[in-house]
Amino acid sequence: MNANAKVLKHSGQTRTMHWLHLIVCILLALTGIGFYWDINWINNLFGGPANASIVHRWSAVIFVLGPLLYILFNFERFSRFVDTISNFTKDDFGWIKTMGGYIPFIKVDEVPPQDKYNAGQKVLGGLIIIGCLLMIITGFPMWVWRGVVAPGFLAFCYNIHFWTSIILILLVLGHFFLAAIHPKSRVEFSAMMIDGYVDADITAEHNEKWYATLKEVE
Amino acid sequence: MKILKESSVFTRRQFLKGSGVLVISAVFMGIFAKVGFDAVAAQEDVVQKRVAGLYSLDEKMTIRKSHENPEIIQLYKDFLSPGEIKPVSDKAHHLLHTRYGEEVPGLIAELKKHPIEAA
Repeated sequence: MNANAKVLKHSGQTRTMHWLHLIVCILLALTGIGFYWDINWINNLFGGPANASIVHRWSAVIFVLGPLLYILFNFERFSRFVDTISNFTKDDFGWIKTMGGYIPFIKVDEVPPQDKYNAGQKVLGGLIIIGCLLMIITGFPMWVWRGVVAPGFLAFCYNIHFWTSIILILLVLGHFFLAAIHPKSRVEFSAMMIDGYVDADITAEHNEKWYATLKEVE
Repeated sequence: MKILKESSVFTRRQFLKGSGVLVISAVFMGIFAKVGFDAVAAQEDVVQKRVAGLYSLDEKMTIRKSHENPEIIQLYKDFLSPGEIKPVSDKAHHLLHTRYGEEVPGLIAELKKHPIEAA
C-alpha cells in the first residue's frame, strides 16, 4: 500500500473546464426552469424573464465555447477520455450488474476492477456528450431562426431541448450526489474541484485497472 | 511524497476515437445547419411574395389610414369624445384598451361591480 502516495487524476485545465461548465450549467438550468415555468422568484434573480432569457443565451455560448477550446488545446486528453468511456468491457458490465455497490439493496460480494472512470461514469460521460450536442443543435434554431423556420420544426426543437435538459439535470444531480455526498465516493471530490489529487490507496481500490498503468514521477 | 501520473503515451486508437467524436459531431451539426439554412432560404422567397401581396392589397384599399376613416371619425364625434375628435380620450382609452397578466383579476372585479360602465 502507498499510505503517502498521491495520484494526479485531473489536470489544471480539466478542473478549470469542469468549474466553468458547472457554473454555466447552473445558470442555464436556473434560467431555463425560471422562464419555462414562469417562476417569478427565479427570473427576478436575473432581473426578470427577458434578462433571464439573455443570460440563458449567452451562458449557452460559453457552454459551447468552453469545452470546444478545452478539446482543441487538450486533444490528447479528450481522446483518452473518449477512449476510456467508450471501452466497455466485461468488468464494466459487472459493475453495472452490481451498480458498483452503491445501491443498498443489491447484494455485492466484489465489484469488478475499473478503469480511470467506472462504468457509471462512462455511461454518464457518453450521455453528457450526446445531451450537450442535442442541446446545442436544438438551441441554435430556437435563438437564431425562431422567426423564420416552420413552427412545427421549432416546436420539435423545443421538445427535444426540454426533455434533454430534464434528463441532463437529473443526471447531474445524481453525479453531484455520488461525487460530493455519498461517503463511498466523495473522497474523490477534491480531485476535480480543488487540487486534482486522489490518495493512491483509494485509486488502487476504485480504479484498479487504471492504477496498474500509472507511473511514479516524484 | 510519492506522486503517480498516467502515461503520456497517445495511441492511434485514442486519436481515432477522439477525432471520430469531433468529426461525427461536426457532420451531425453540419447536416442540421444545412437543413436549417435551406429552410431559411426557402422561406425567404415566400416571405418576399407575402410582403409584396400585402403591399399590393393595401394600395388597392380606399381608406388606408385609420385616422382618416369616416366611420372612426364619426365614432369619436358621437361617442368616444362627444363633439370633437380626440384620440385616446378617457372613454376611448377605457374601452379600446385591454389589460393583461396581473391586471386581469382587477378588471374582472371591476366588470362585476359596474358591468355597464366598465364595459
